[in-house]
Amino acid sequence: MLFPREMSEIELIVPSKDLLAVTKALSGYGVFHQTDSNYPGVASGSSNTWQETAGQYSALERRIQTVMQQLDIDEGRPPSKEFEAMVDMEKLRASVEQIEAEVRGTTDELSEQRKRLEQLETIVHQLEPVQDVDIDISSLRDSRYMFSMLGQMPTANLERMETSLARVPHVFLTLRADPARPVVWLAGTKSNSDVLERAARSAYLDPLSLPSDYQGTPGNIIKSLRNTIESTQRRIKELQDALGRLGLERRDQLRDLLWQTHTSRVLSDAIVRFGQLRHTYVVTGWVPTDSLDEFSRRLRQASKEILIENLPTSRTGHNSNVPVALTQSKILRPFQMLVNTYARPRYGELDPTLLIAFLFPLLYGAMFGDIGQGLVLLIFGLLINAGKIMKSMQSLGLLIAYCGASAAIFGVLYGSVFGFEGEHFEHAFGTELHPLWTSPLHNTLPVLGVAIDLGIVILLLAYLLAIFNQIRSREYGHLLFGHTGLMGFALYLSFLGLLGMAVQALRLPIIPQIAVFISNLPLPWGVLTLIFGLGIMFSEVLINLYEGHRPVIEAHGVGGFVMYLVQAFMDLFETLISQLSNTLSFVRVGAFAVAHGGVSMAIFALAGEEMGFKFWLTILLGNLFIIGFEGLIVGIQTMRLNYYEFLGKFFTGGGMRFEPLTITPAEEEG
Amino acid sequence: MAKSGVSGYAAISARVRAMSSSLLSAQDFARLSDSTDLPTLVSQLKQTPYGPYLENLKEKDFTPQKLDLAIKGRLGDSYRSVTQMAPEHARSLLKQLYRYFEIQNLKAILRGITTDPTWERVQDVLFPMGKMTVLPAQAMLESGSVGAAIELLQHTPYYETLSFAMKRYSAEQNLFPLEVALDLAYWRQLWQEAKKLPGQDGVQASKIIGSLMDVNNLMWVIRYKVYHGLSEEEIINYTLPFGYRVRDEDVRAVAAGADLSMVVGRVFPGIPDLNTLLENPRQGLPQLEVILKRRLMQQCLAAFIGNPFHIGVPIAFLILSDLEVQDLTILVEAKSSGMPAEEFRSYMLRSVEA
Repeated sequence: MLFPREMSEIELIVPSKDLLAVTKALSGYGVFHQTDSNYPGVASGSSNTWQETAGQYSALERRIQTVMQQLDIDEGRPPSKEFEAMVDMEKLRASVEQIEAEVRGTTDELSEQRKRLEQLETIVHQLEPVQDVDIDISSLRDSRYMFSMLGQMPTANLERMETSLARVPHVFLTLRADPARPVVWLAGTKSNSDVLERAARSAYLDPLSLPSDYQGTPGNIIKSLRNTIESTQRRIKELQDALGRLGLERRDQLRDLLWQTHTSRVLSDAIVRFGQLRHTYVVTGWVPTDSLDEFSRRLRQASKEILIENLPTSRTGHNSNVPVALTQSKILRPFQMLVNTYARPRYGELDPTLLIAFLFPLLYGAMFGDIGQGLVLLIFGLLINAGKIMKSMQSLGLLIAYCGASAAIFGVLYGSVFGFEGEHFEHAFGTELHPLWTSPLHNTLPVLGVAIDLGIVILLLAYLLAIFNQIRSREYGHLLFGHTGLMGFALYLSFLGLLGMAVQALRLPIIPQIAVFISNLPLPWGVLTLIFGLGIMFSEVLINLYEGHRPVIEAHGVGGFVMYLVQAFMDLFETLISQLSNTLSFVRVGAFAVAHGGVSMAIFALAGEEMGFKFWLTILLGNLFIIGFEGLIVGIQTMRLNYYEFLGKFFTGGGMRFEPLTITPAEEEG
Repeated sequence: MAKSGVSGYAAISARVRAMSSSLLSAQDFARLSDSTDLPTLVSQLKQTPYGPYLENLKEKDFTPQKLDLAIKGRLGDSYRSVTQMAPEHARSLLKQLYRYFEIQNLKAILRGITTDPTWERVQDVLFPMGKMTVLPAQAMLESGSVGAAIELLQHTPYYETLSFAMKRYSAEQNLFPLEVALDLAYWRQLWQEAKKLPGQDGVQASKIIGSLMDVNNLMWVIRYKVYHGLSEEEIINYTLPFGYRVRDEDVRAVAAGADLSMVVGRVFPGIPDLNTLLENPRQGLPQLEVILKRRLMQQCLAAFIGNPFHIGVPIAFLILSDLEVQDLTILVEAKSSGMPAEEFRSYMLRSVEA
């Protein structure tokens, strides 16, 4: 749960005669992550024949997808596990060609009609600005003494076009100031037509190309164009209906063809990456260790002579080439998604999903504490998750529900129901509601202090996790001297000591108790901050010395050693600024809790004293506003705190995604 | 609120200083240019910060294209690293600056479609953009036509620009209008991004980006005039009216046929033997480009002096890295074709002692 699944490296030696059966077994189980079998003595890419075969299946698959797209048919459900390994290419091709021939005539005409419609609409668009001009268009076009050009051009070129004609008498008007495609009119004397044409062409002026059968004034032409547009639209509708009918007829056949071709393509793609010896094939890859027994059993069923060798992989040290399979848990899926959006854990690295599953709702609830609004979010989230509403957000449903539940719990602690607190609650419902802990609105400063304390705890946890990760990956240099190693941790503790001393000396109203506690310990925090600060400043040198990297200081190039010192100082400066800003960043947790109560107060002020229809309507709308708007903002803030203040401290990520060989698309974790 | 000044640039400034110390020194270049042949050059390069990018290349892959691609890998990493660390308000400028390579890739794909649409060939000339690209490169190449490829760019920043230029491509069957439209749109957007920045960031960005634009703009004007023989109005439409030193009147003067050396001398005073250099513009132009780029390089180095807390330093570093890659490309080409040192040294931006 806390780490990606343990993986085993697999090497298979497959007799040529069992090639297809083994490949089918490999892709059928969906636990095998294939790697290239490319090492000395083994021909990679198996053989050109398989490469060609894979290419042909791939091209055929694209053709089927195109036809299905034209007929508006989706891919349908993947076939059952018992699929045919490799379907005869010629048989598939013949079926595809037959359907393509049936569809082609209609789709070609449809595409032509659509293009025509677009052209006609463009012409109308260009003519509309001059529709009231009572002049025959052809007289402008065929004028004996005047050059005239009506058309569209890129807005960015308008000014340059004017400039380019500065020395030639002309008229250049923007008839319609469309931001992307303005309609313009360029006119001048016929004797300058060469210059005018060249300028227009080089400014990408696209002249109006009016079909010769449209004549008369712009108004008349527009009228007749609109008639043609209507008839074209009717024809497009007829063609779409015909395609719809054809789609219904051919749907099942096309889906079968697609999956057969897809399966054959996936298998041949896999074989291309096998290594080929004289009578055998070498296959390498990764399998989750807990699936290894079943995986081996299936392979032995497919080939009695197969050789299977597996090498368990250590979770410690650098394992950047090991694919990372994360534990699939429906309950944790939304948090897995949040973590994956940030980065995929490396193999052996701590998977922070569980931590985020605790921290995210905690911070959200603390900022949005209200029993009523929390329950609304909970129900809303569950409905989304069940696919009853807003299907496009289904993956976020559970996350919203968790946040809602947490908000409701904090609502109990804060004593707030749909914004009703204390007197308001008693006035409206005739009974008292006492906060189990405190009302942020009435105890602002202590709440802000607790928020900073919460931040300090989270940051200390993040530092400890970073140290844990560095021990596991055996990065001892960074562990001792790195920004997120022991040196960084010690600097942060010293910094907290100084912060606590400053809070007491300056008698600040917001008191982070943890910082004050640390400062009261009998240690010279100022001296320690200086020592650990210098340690961080020269951490690169210390790491290089410890790990034996040379040169110890990268100080060649512009500026040399002085530039190194400047860079090291800036590094320390940034670390200290980050530690301060990261700690204070958690003030927002308390501030949002206070603001939440404040916004509710504002809504009560708008609702007035009298508890009539207007009062309840205002409360209803106000609550909807808070849930929708403030709920979203709090969500963004929570994500920010989790990503930048927490994960950023200890989570490196960059792991390789586990992509098992399968004929159906692999299900994404979270 | 946008973080700027010390708080916004403390980290990136330190990082860029550290990265800039790994730019190749004059001694490095002297050693590299003394290599006897391409394999020696590569083994020398492996001793530099480019080493990790060349590690996976086997000797059979020592072709100029493959080496160029590997070397550019480091430039791509520098861009990504600097962009990630940049303050939020300056990031879009850096991303736009990086888009230059995406434009070059886009042009390469379009050229590939019209000449040799084999993915393996085109792939080798594409800048390694990683995930920071919106181009579906292979699908574009396999689409079979320029029009179909451009249709695949819908919902990208390039579609609108290319859809206008596409009309001309259809009529002329020449990629020139598409490429010019892409270049103009790129530089206009870059200039806008630079101008959008507040305070010191805006001043420094305009200075360095403007200088970069100056070199390009001036080269365009002269090339359009000398090589393509374009008319005045075409040259004006195909160039930019802004920059750090180059003004609209300079562009218009060259377009109208003014004396090249007079205009260049006015904009960039102090270039020795300018009249002789531009006596035959076709021969002198490559050398003029080298001189202007050397000046740009000096300007970028100057950005490292004084207040380091502004966007000018990261931009200068990225441009210097790009210029370094250009020099390395020259070295690779020269060594692979066995060009003598005295010939290729004149094209290099770094002066390398014989």
